[in-house]
Amino acid sequence: MLLGDVSETYTDLVTVVFSSTIAAKAWLASAALVLALVQITTAARIYRKLNFLPKRGRAIARVHRWSGRLAFLLTLPVFFHCVTILGFQTPDTRVVLHSLVGTFFYGVFAAKVLIVRDHSLPGWALPTAGLTLASTLAVLWLSSSLWYFTSVRFGF
Amino acid sequence: MGRGWRPLVVGAAVVVCTFALAQAEIFAPSAPAGSAVSGGDIYRGETVFQRECAACHGDGGRGGGVGPRLSGAGIDAATVTAAVQQGRGVMPAGLVSGREEADVVAYVVSISTP
Repeated sequence: MLLGDVSETYTDLVTVVFSSTIAAKAWLASAALVLALVQITTAARIYRKLNFLPKRGRAIARVHRWSGRLAFLLTLPVFFHCVTILGFQTPDTRVVLHSLVGTFFYGVFAAKVLIVRDHSLPGWALPTAGLTLASTLAVLWLSSSLWYFTSVRFGF
Repeated sequence: MGRGWRPLVVGAAVVVCTFALAQAEIFAPSAPAGSAVSGGDIYRGETVFQRECAACHGDGGRGGGVGPRLSGAGIDAATVTAAVQQGRGVMPAGLVSGREEADVVAYVVSISTP
């Protein structure tokens, strides 16, 4: 299969459900952002910063882990289209910001995953990494999905 | 180097790899002839098309009842440009102009290539 055909196949697959590849990314990123909010909320409960959620520690931890895994999976098609098809672009400020922050997203993600598994690091390292990752995702959503919903169309 | 640096080093390596991958654009489709002529960007053009044209020509130009099907229709850049600038049938002239015109022409040529 030619490399260019991969792009066409991806577009054909995505447009079975969505009106365009951009619409697909906007909705997938929105779903990932919602799950990132679940991540922040459950992490805050784990760190005892929130008290309105039930105290079932295992359930909270499970929700935290699975919301993170699902959010990561939802970002993969977005990553595929943005990085391997569109590439790093600089036509205007919004796209420059999106390209720059997007380049850092998986780096921050990789660092966060390693920090989770390294118990020798100081206590502030994990929440800092988690909030940085969530902030990165929020900036990416604001500079793409929000732009799409407000400037192009709000629909699938 | 202490073990505490590992997340930062790995994270930085992932950033570099992502940037290299983005620069390579390994799955980017080859630019259609129309986009080279008009200098438009087919991806920005897709956005403009969704906003201004899809209501009549359908999503992805697959036909929407009002405007003709553009997908696979084999239309060249000059024809698309003329239709955008002068209008055609019920399609009003000058729906888009400037860079948006170039972008949408590039996009329509890319989807109309059989």
